[in-house]
Amino acid sequence: MAKFIVSSSPHISTTFTTRRMMLDVIIALVPATIASVLLYGFYPLCMMVLCVGSCVFAEWLFNLITKKYQSVGDLSAVVTGMILSLNLPPVVPFYVPMVGGFFAIVVVKMLFGGIGKNFANPAITARIFLMLCWTTVMTSFVQPIDLSNGMNLFSFFDRAVDIDISAITSATPLAGVKSSIAAGTNPAEGLSALDMFLGRIGGSAGEVSTIAILIGGIYLLIRKVIDWRIPALYIGSTVVFTAIFFSGSEYVGQYVWTYLLGGGLMFGAFFMATDYATSPKTCLAVVIYGVGLGFLTVVFRKFGTMNEGVSFAILLMNVLTPLLEKITPRAFGAPKKNNLAKLMKHKRKDVALEGGKND
Amino acid sequence: MTFPLRTFRRGIHPPANKFTKDAPLQEFPTPDTVFISLSQHIGAPATPTVAVGDHVDVGQVIASASGFVSANVISSVSGTVKAFCTLPTANGGEATHIEIENDHLFTEQRLSALNDPTKEEIIERIKAAGIVGMGGATFPTHVKLMPKDPIDTLIINGAECEPYITCDYRLFMEEAVRVIDGVKLLMKALDVKHAYIGIEANKLPAIKRLAKLVPPEIDVMKLKTKYPQGAEKQLIFAITHRTVPTGALPAKVGCVVCNTHTAYCVAKAVRDGETCYKRAMTVSGGGVEMRGNFWVRNGTPYQFIYDTCRGNVIEDVTRKVISGGPMMGFAQADLNVATTKGSSCLLFLTDKEFNTSPTTPCISCGKCILNCPMSLVPREIERAEQKEDFETTFKLGVLNCIECGACSYSCPAKRPLVQAMRLAKKEIKARGIK
Repeated sequence: MAKFIVSSSPHISTTFTTRRMMLDVIIALVPATIASVLLYGFYPLCMMVLCVGSCVFAEWLFNLITKKYQSVGDLSAVVTGMILSLNLPPVVPFYVPMVGGFFAIVVVKMLFGGIGKNFANPAITARIFLMLCWTTVMTSFVQPIDLSNGMNLFSFFDRAVDIDISAITSATPLAGVKSSIAAGTNPAEGLSALDMFLGRIGGSAGEVSTIAILIGGIYLLIRKVIDWRIPALYIGSTVVFTAIFFSGSEYVGQYVWTYLLGGGLMFGAFFMATDYATSPKTCLAVVIYGVGLGFLTVVFRKFGTMNEGVSFAILLMNVLTPLLEKITPRAFGAPKKNNLAKLMKHKRKDVALEGGKND
Repeated sequence: MTFPLRTFRRGIHPPANKFTKDAPLQEFPTPDTVFISLSQHIGAPATPTVAVGDHVDVGQVIASASGFVSANVISSVSGTVKAFCTLPTANGGEATHIEIENDHLFTEQRLSALNDPTKEEIIERIKAAGIVGMGGATFPTHVKLMPKDPIDTLIINGAECEPYITCDYRLFMEEAVRVIDGVKLLMKALDVKHAYIGIEANKLPAIKRLAKLVPPEIDVMKLKTKYPQGAEKQLIFAITHRTVPTGALPAKVGCVVCNTHTAYCVAKAVRDGETCYKRAMTVSGGGVEMRGNFWVRNGTPYQFIYDTCRGNVIEDVTRKVISGGPMMGFAQADLNVATTKGSSCLLFLTDKEFNTSPTTPCISCGKCILNCPMSLVPREIERAEQKEDFETTFKLGVLNCIECGACSYSCPAKRPLVQAMRLAKKEIKARGIK
């Protein structure tokens, strides 16, 4: 008689796998990658190759040294590498994406237990790490290539050899906003909404082209890879909080759309705030997370010394996520309960448990 | 004609794979020996009323209900009682079976036909005929018809949300008049004025057919095609918008839910005096050639079904045998098991038809949470379960779990989530956590 496989039900499963999800994210990042090439030439693409390579190599090496299951096949390191490189300014020295990739994978992801265990988004944390290490490089942006001006898609390679950042630095829309907050002038002076939508502005390689990000984001939403509530709440609350914080200014409308299109908000909302391991999933927690992201982004951008606030907002909300996840939905048919009271109860209990362990 | 499309929150969309939906119900051949289980229902096993060597007829009671929650067991063939033996059951346990040698004469005993029965007569007849919940839960129907709480709504579950299974659909298509008659009898037994028949939208011919035939006091409800639409609590919510409280029975919200096949059996028992000894069963999967819907007599060994249906398909391709649907059914180690009143489906699956992907680390994507029809957090429960922290699993409401498997199905990392929840429930019970 034939031997049959015996296992507990269910016996069927979706064809959706971790690898397939990561592949979907890679596909969704392709438009932003193409946009970065069209805007800045092949230099950012080379940086992406370096970054992805260092991420994958770091994960492979880590697993090899620690004798762990070889996990590079799930493609998550490729995703981290792509997101990190699209987060970098278009022209950076070659060692920046390599160091960033190693940091993201080894320190943020693998040391905490690998995929799904990272305490914060690896790409975001690596970006902040790089920003603290090479502040000038990480805050120096170039204007997109102007083909009519004798530049071509290889234009930035010659300058990158002996990089002289100050020579090519240009202002980003958010830098303009910062100075206009102090001066009380129109923050959108000289900016066109169409340019910002297409990405013909200074900024990080993958963050400038809103249209490319939207194409990828919509793909992820259709494939149900990401939860629509997080980008919707993040973007929506950023708009609302911008309108509130700048309600005294006569240029409130201009502030809203430069904040919306001029920085890393779109890319962050679709590709980084939705990182699985570091975003909550249950209803109320998602609302707090999304609104918190919008609030912090506007606060950092308006009151902070840095022009951009998306990375820090996401990092902060990432580390809040374990607490937010204590808010669980009411089971179907269970009596109503007070979520906030439950949250506080959990918090106290955790402290007590920790104490117990130390004894 | 328009129907409102009703549903519940969350849930999943597994491929329907209803390959046998156009295969008419056929009488299945009878084996030379049947093995009739004394535990074909939830509750106490029935007490045998025959001895080795006795002659029995088709439809004869061979074991009687041995308590309030128990049901009569009926002989499905005529012949001689050969032995009492202990055999494995489809859900992994063991039960005493009565082995009957089939004389292939099919001499039949029937009860008297009732044309205008009273409420008590209907319930008494259902009890005598040994009718249980034919959807697979096998809860004795006569017990269900005597609830402690007042009932105002009867719901007939024709959702058939599990992939592959089509036997209820065939009943709607071929025996609609009888099913509706059974619904009317159940309404009378429960003394309710209104009944609903819930059918998933992907079975449109059945909905249209029934809508033409039903009297005004019965409504045919078109339900969204979504798993687990046929789960009791989800079905009640979809149709009446009532929520069954944790730990309570549907009667608490004034509802009784019966399966389509149960309604059919009630009509047969009351109108024809036929007891519950055979049932419609779907046989499907890549391991058999003769896929279809059959009237299978209780006690037919799976091996006999396999040998009859296999055709020219080589034996080695069948890698998994499932009693029931692929979402909640039980995988069988061998074919040494016989059918019961609850056997709605038997699947012979090849490698490509079931999940063989290895389990990988949880990526915290939250698909299990977004799909849980009971609004639980399977991921957190699994984490706590792995740490053997059953207190936490209890606090996270694991006892609400209906074990539908939507979490495990939707998990991209293929983690055994519902399996962990089952273990946690068992441990909570064993340790008496409250």
